[in-house]
Amino acid sequence: MTEALIVRGLNKTFAKPAVMDLDLTVRAGELYALLGPNGAGKTTTLRMVAGLTRPDKGEVEIFGVDARKDPAGAKALLAWAPDEAMIYDKLTPMEYLEFVAGLWNIEPRAAKARAEALLEQLGLTAEAGRWCEGFSRGMKQKVALAGALIHEPKLLILDEPLTGLDAAAARLVKDMLRARVDAGGTVILTTHILEVAERMADRIGIIAGGRLLAEGSLEDLRGMAGQASGRTLEDVFLQLTAEGHA
Amino acid sequence: MIRFQPASIPWLLAHELRLTWRGFVSGRKSRGPVSMIALAVLVVMALIAGVSIALAVHGRQIPIVPLSIAIGDFVLAVILTLMLSTGLAAAADVLYERGDLDLLFSSPIAPRKVLFVRALGVAVNAATWFVIPALLLVGPSIVHGHPGWAGLFGVLAAASLAATGLGLLLAMALFSLIGPRRTRTVAQVLAALIGAAFFLATQFRNLLGKQASESLFAHIARAAADGRFKPPPHADLPLRAALGQPIPLLILLAIGVGIFLVAVRALGRRFADAAAATQGAEHHKAARRPARAFAAGAFRATVRKELRLIGRDAALISQVLLRVLYMVPLALVLARAGTHQQAWTLAGPAAAVAFLAGQVAGSLAWLTLSAEDAPDLLAVSPTPMATLRRAKLFAALTPVAALLAIPIGVLAWYHPLAALWTAIGAGLTAWSAGLINVWHQKPGRRADFRRRRSGSVLANLAEIGIAFLFAAATALAVAGWLVWAVIPLIVAGALMMALRRTDEQIAAALRAAARSSN
Repeated sequence: MTEALIVRGLNKTFAKPAVMDLDLTVRAGELYALLGPNGAGKTTTLRMVAGLTRPDKGEVEIFGVDARKDPAGAKALLAWAPDEAMIYDKLTPMEYLEFVAGLWNIEPRAAKARAEALLEQLGLTAEAGRWCEGFSRGMKQKVALAGALIHEPKLLILDEPLTGLDAAAARLVKDMLRARVDAGGTVILTTHILEVAERMADRIGIIAGGRLLAEGSLEDLRGMAGQASGRTLEDVFLQLTAEGHA
Repeated sequence: MIRFQPASIPWLLAHELRLTWRGFVSGRKSRGPVSMIALAVLVVMALIAGVSIALAVHGRQIPIVPLSIAIGDFVLAVILTLMLSTGLAAAADVLYERGDLDLLFSSPIAPRKVLFVRALGVAVNAATWFVIPALLLVGPSIVHGHPGWAGLFGVLAAASLAATGLGLLLAMALFSLIGPRRTRTVAQVLAALIGAAFFLATQFRNLLGKQASESLFAHIARAAADGRFKPPPHADLPLRAALGQPIPLLILLAIGVGIFLVAVRALGRRFADAAAATQGAEHHKAARRPARAFAAGAFRATVRKELRLIGRDAALISQVLLRVLYMVPLALVLARAGTHQQAWTLAGPAAAVAFLAGQVAGSLAWLTLSAEDAPDLLAVSPTPMATLRRAKLFAALTPVAALLAIPIGVLAWYHPLAALWTAIGAGLTAWSAGLINVWHQKPGRRADFRRRRSGSVLANLAEIGIAFLFAAATALAVAGWLVWAVIPLIVAGALMMALRRTDEQIAAALRAAARSSN
C-alpha cells in the first residue's frame, strides 16, 4: 500500500508552540481520523498539509510529491474543506462549482456533468440556481463538500465536516466519504464526535499539545491505553489525552 | 456607563450612539496614526479658518436680500439632498442590517420604540457630518459677536430629521411597491441618484446645451445681483432661521420634527413585520434558465466569478452609477466642445474622464483583489497566484472599459485624435489604479466596501496622485502639448516603480496582515 501523506518533523509556533515534531503517515485508500482536544494542533497540522500555513520546520509529502518543492503538484492532488465553508454568498452552487473546477483546471464539460451529479447526490439540485447567502449552515457545508469533490481529489482533508449538519445530512456525508474510501480515495478528517471516528475510521491519530500521542486502529489504541476491548473510543481518548497532559 | 432608565428611549439611544462611536473610533484606530494626525491637521485648519471668518465678520450683519436668500436656500438644498441620500441608504440598512435587531425584538421593548431610536440614530449620524464642520467654521463667530448664528445648528437638526423621515417613508414605499428582495438594492441606487441629483441640477443648462460655462447657481446669483431675482414667499426662512430668528427657526424645527414623527408613527406598526420579512428576503430566486457551459481554465473561471460578484453587489453598483452620472455631463461637454473642433477646450473634461476611470478601477480592483470571500480556497488550489491576480485585475478593468465607451465614443465621433489620447490616458489611469491594488492588497470584507480606503494611507494617496498625474498628461496631450505631457507621465512612472512589489513581497505583506488580524 502506498502512502497518501507523509509528514516528518512538522513544527509550527505562533505565540506558543502549536505543533511540535509531528510525524504522521496516512496510507492510500484509508479513512484517517485525527482527534484531539481543543487547541491540540489538529487544524494547524491540516492547514500546513494543505499548504495554507507555512511550517517552521518539517516535510510534507502527498502521494510522493514534496509539498514544499512542488506546491502546485501537491495541491492538485488534494482538497481541503474546513469547518467554515469556503463559499461565496452571491454565487449559486452551480456557479461555485464552475469556479472551483476552473481552479483545478477540470475540462468544462466533464466538470459540469460532475457538478450536476454531486448536487443531485447531496440533495441540492433544487437549490442549484439560488444564491448561497440564504442557505443554512448545513447546506453551505454541503456546497463546500461538493466543491471539494468536484475535481476528484486523491486526498480529501476535512476539518469538522459534520458541523451544522442535521442527522440525515450527516448520514449522507458519512456515506459519501465511506464510498469514496471504498473506491480507493483517501480521507483525513478531524471531528469532535468520537462516535463518528469510532465507526468510520480505519485508523485514528490522537494529538494533544501539538504532539501525536497515539495512532492506530481502535483495538491498537485500546491496547496502548491498557483498556479491555469493549471500552469506547471516548474512554480511550480521555485516558490517552489525560496521560499526555500529565 | 449608561445611567438612563433601562429600556427607555434615552437608554436605547445612548446604546445606539455608543455603538456608533465605538465603530468610528475602531475604524480610526485601524487606519493607524497617520490617519489620526491627518484628522487633527484638518480640525486645526478648519478652526483657523473659523477664527479668520469670525474676525472678518465681527461687527457686521448678513443682509437679508435676494442674493443672500438664494445662497441660504442653495446651501440648505445641497445639505438636504446629501442628508436624504444618506438617510435613504441608512433607512434601508435599518430594516436589513440584523445587528442586534433580533435581540431587541425578542425583548419586551415595543418595535415602535426600537424604530424611533434607530431612526433617531440615523438622524444624529446624518447631522454629525455637518454639525462638526459647522462647529469649527461658524463656532468662533458665534462666540465672537454673533450668538444668533447658533440657529444654524437648529436648521441642521431640522434638515436631518426631515431627511431621515423622508428616507424612511421612501424605503417603506419601495418595500410595499417592489417587495423586500429588491428594496435594498433599489434604495442604494436611488440614494446614489439623489446624492448626484444636485450635481446634475447644477449642470442642467449644460445638459440642455445652453451656455456651457454658466451653472444654474451662477445664473441665479447673477440674476439676484442684477435685482431680477425675486425669491418666492417664505424662501427666506432658512437664512433667517440660521441667523437665529426664533420664529423661522421654530417653523423649520416643527417641519423637521413633524416629518420625522409622521414617518416613525406611520411605520411603527409595520416596522417589526417589515424587518422580519427582510430576513432571508434578499435571497435570490432559483434561476429557471439552463446553466451556461462551464468556463475553461482558472483564468476564465475567475473572471466570470468576479464579474458575477461585481454585478450582484448593490453598494458597488450605486457607487459606480454615481460616477457614471458624473460622466454624463462630461460626455455632453466633450460632445459640444468637439463640435467646435477646439482641442484645448476638451482638455479639462478629458482629464476628468481619465481621473474618474481611475477611481472606478480602484474601487473594483479593491473588491476583486482584496475583498476575496474565500482566500483559503484560492490558496489551496494549484493555480498560481499570479494567474489569479491577472484574472481579478482583468475582471476589475472590464466594466471600466465598458463605462469609458460612453464619453470616448462620443468624442471619437467628433475628434478622433482627442478620443485616442483620452482613451490612452483613461486606460493608463485605470490600469495603474488596478496595479496599485494588486501590489498593496489589504484583505477586507465586501461589506466594508465603503471603508476600503482604510488600508495603506501611502498607497491610497499614491493612487489618487498617480491618477491626477495621468489625468494631467491626458489634458496636455488632448490640448496638443505633447512634449509637456511627458513630464507628468515620467513622474507617474517613477511613483509606480517605487510602489511596485514582487510576488514574494505581496505574499509576505498578506501573511503579515493575516498575522496582525489574528
